[in-house]
Amino acid sequence: MSETTVRKPYMRKMSKTCWFMTHARFKSYMLHEVSALFVGIYMCVLIGGLFRLAQGPEAWANWMSTMTSWPMLILSLIMFAFFIVHTVSWFQAVPQAMRIQQGEHFVPGKLIIGAHYVALGVVSLFILILAGVA
Amino acid sequence: MARSAKAVPWFLFAAGGTITAFVLPVMLFVTNIGPALGLFHDAMSYETLSSFLSWWIVKLALLGIIVLGLWHSAHRLRSCAHDFGIRADAGVAVVLYGLATIGTLATIVVLLSI
Repeated sequence: MSETTVRKPYMRKMSKTCWFMTHARFKSYMLHEVSALFVGIYMCVLIGGLFRLAQGPEAWANWMSTMTSWPMLILSLIMFAFFIVHTVSWFQAVPQAMRIQQGEHFVPGKLIIGAHYVALGVVSLFILILAGVA
Repeated sequence: MARSAKAVPWFLFAAGGTITAFVLPVMLFVTNIGPALGLFHDAMSYETLSSFLSWWIVKLALLGIIVLGLWHSAHRLRSCAHDFGIRADAGVAVVLYGLATIGTLATIVVLLSI
């Protein structure tokens, strides 16, 4: 008895470009991955600013008026939101990457994450004081 | 254990991710959001910034933040490209790491010129 069977394996349909929209976990993964785009943009903004600063007071004044324009403020607020996403997700992952052993036990992840937020507060306060707040 | 060149971008990615997580929100607030709302007028003035940047330690800190931020971004965007269905990884890597290299050189040049 010869029976020819054509295998027809089930192939789950999955979009190559929007697959992450199917699950909340994937969405949050993509959200923090995409933050890298805004990190890159801000680094370019900083480099551009340094070039303008090097060109003298007039160039710098022009740069700052661009930086304080409405479109730039909107972009900055979007970047700020993504930086917060980056910071929170990065700190969340630290206990998985850095296991600290103390005696027979590991330091609880919450403590490590908490320490990072304290350090974030100290660094932020330091930079704000440098910039003339308080 | 097999030697791998992956350790280099990975280190830059991790170091950059850590430093950006700590400093970028507050830095962006001081350099962009605050000034747009009328804050940090003196701190962001030409005189203050050029004297601030005359310190080598400040230049070095900025260099560290910008360069590590660039390489962190490049490395993560490389895996992002894969996630968005772009499978030409070698080309993506050349473009992104190339941009990070250009950015690194530009930062060094401009910091030396201030």
